[in-house]
Amino acid sequence: MDQVHAEAPPATALAASVEREFYSDFPLILNYVARLIDDIDGAASITCAAFRQVTEALRQREGAGGLRRTDVFRAATELSRQSLRPKRWFRRRQRDHVELDGFPEQEARRTLRRDTVQRAVGALSFEARVMVLLRDFAKLSYDEISEIVDIPPKKLVHALDRSRTELAEIYDYIKF
Amino acid sequence: MTTSSSDRCTRISPSAVLDDRLDGKDLEWARDHLRRCEACRERVEDFREMLLRVGRLPKATLGATAMDEAYTMSVPERLREEAGIRGYDISSADSGRLVPPMGSLPSAIHPEVTSIPDLMSELEREIFRDEAVPGHPSTLAAIPEPIYPTMAPPEEPAAAAPPTDEAVAEPDTPDLREVPLDSHREPVPAPAPAPAPAQASPEETDWTRLLETIATAPEVEEEPRTMAPMPISAAPQPPPAAASSSFDPPSPVEASVMAEPLIQHESWMAPEPEPVPARVPKRSNADNILRLAVGFGAAACVLLAAVLYEGGHLLNAHPVASASASASVRASVKASATVHPSAKTTVVPSASQPPATVLYVLGNGVSGNTVFRIRPGTAIAGYTRLVFDMHGAGLPSMVITQIDATHLQVIFKKTTVGTVPVSGIRSYQVAAVEPGVQSGPDGSFVIDLNRAVRVTAFTLPASGGYPWRLVIDLHA
Repeated sequence: MDQVHAEAPPATALAASVEREFYSDFPLILNYVARLIDDIDGAASITCAAFRQVTEALRQREGAGGLRRTDVFRAATELSRQSLRPKRWFRRRQRDHVELDGFPEQEARRTLRRDTVQRAVGALSFEARVMVLLRDFAKLSYDEISEIVDIPPKKLVHALDRSRTELAEIYDYIKF
Repeated sequence: MTTSSSDRCTRISPSAVLDDRLDGKDLEWARDHLRRCEACRERVEDFREMLLRVGRLPKATLGATAMDEAYTMSVPERLREEAGIRGYDISSADSGRLVPPMGSLPSAIHPEVTSIPDLMSELEREIFRDEAVPGHPSTLAAIPEPIYPTMAPPEEPAAAAPPTDEAVAEPDTPDLREVPLDSHREPVPAPAPAPAPAQASPEETDWTRLLETIATAPEVEEEPRTMAPMPISAAPQPPPAAASSSFDPPSPVEASVMAEPLIQHESWMAPEPEPVPARVPKRSNADNILRLAVGFGAAACVLLAAVLYEGGHLLNAHPVASASASASVRASVKASATVHPSAKTTVVPSASQPPATVLYVLGNGVSGNTVFRIRPGTAIAGYTRLVFDMHGAGLPSMVITQIDATHLQVIFKKTTVGTVPVSGIRSYQVAAVEPGVQSGPDGSFVIDLNRAVRVTAFTLPASGGYPWRLVIDLHA
């Protein structure tokens, strides 16, 4: 398990890294995006697009170490932000809908819709939602989060404090 | 790690504490402060609960096929091909459930089929045993036969022979000739009368002997006995002469082979059942009547339950419809109309309108409370929850009445309701909540509904920082 040949050529090593990271991180990032945009049906297309974007960038960049999940999280966050941004009708561009076999299950869709915590998360601002989800849902480290959201780790504590306070207030309000 | 303080101490950053971002002197100071400051301790606990709630949010799972599809869509083909040369194994989440390769599977076990009871056949037999028409396939035969189940049972050749005689010799039932009885079977090649039927014992009716019998039979010039449909005629038709001659007298073997469908049909049509007890068990009239009665009873129960459900009698757990309660509700409603005539939007039932239905009477009769807030809780298509928060020493008497299909009134006895903000409360079920109306000691709210709803309500005591509460759920 997870034994990579040391003598593998760079291209193969990159491909192996992509495959390994994909199978390791795709479910987590998919769930993160689903919570972030509050839409489990549109999450698959955004996650696939994020992976595609990062792997394409890796191929064009010589000497890239391999697929890093912070890059994918960052791309997924940005794509999610774009998908939630109100669009003018003449610039409206529908993202390709991705159908995955057996995903999402009906129960997962129902759970996402009815969960009070999720509704509280959905009521947060996008930045606060990203903070809370990256830290408490995806359980990323401060360094990883600061890389994704471009905030120094020192300031991240205050940003997280504000986001969590806001979340707790909203949750207290709607929890009945 | 401190933040600005207002009326409540916020000098501790809960995120810094919970995420282990403090060290050295900061950590010592935070520990010391938390030991002494209850407000900060509560904040940290609240944050910890929220953090755990978010961390416990369920994650949707993907199957191995979905992962492969996503991989195909996400990674360029060239990289995928390069990744085909693997130095490691990828174990998907579902790999443990995959079927092992065929080579490693144990060989299939072929048990002796006859030694295993055929549960389905027994069940079918149990279900269909009272059927008057034994039209079920041969698996329903009461006595399974080892060689050819559709043959007559070998144990009872004598019992099978007489119906054959009757079936062939009884020409005065035209229905028997109008239906292609054995159209579902292959036509039996014209058998000849058995040369020595007299000494045929029941043991001789097996397939081998039957074949021998047919093979050694002399050729007889006669019509092939395929059961072609006969034209319908009112008058009974006599049987063909050849047929009658070939079956007079029939051998038991031949009779059982040739006339089995007729036996079945005869047994159905004849007023008195033919003696084929193994195939057609009789059903008593009392048994039939009992089954019909049970069936009608079950249907009546289902119908009654449906009627009760539709009428709402099963779901309203506390429908209080006493005369005193409804009278008091009516009195309070009228009083509110006289005291506050300016409340234009309040629906006041006049004498001509039907009286409001009291749905719930809740509370403990505590007086002097104040309703200070209405919280719209869960608001989805399924239901809307409204929470009435009250200050006071307990729960006042509360009466929830249905004024009409789109108006609910909530009356708080001996409670002040005047200053509760109600703007902006709307949902799929709720059009608006009208401002509270104070009529003497009692206060009331009218909830304007968008559609007819089913109401459930309950109360909650003051606990955990929450006041006394009345919770009303409006189900679409």
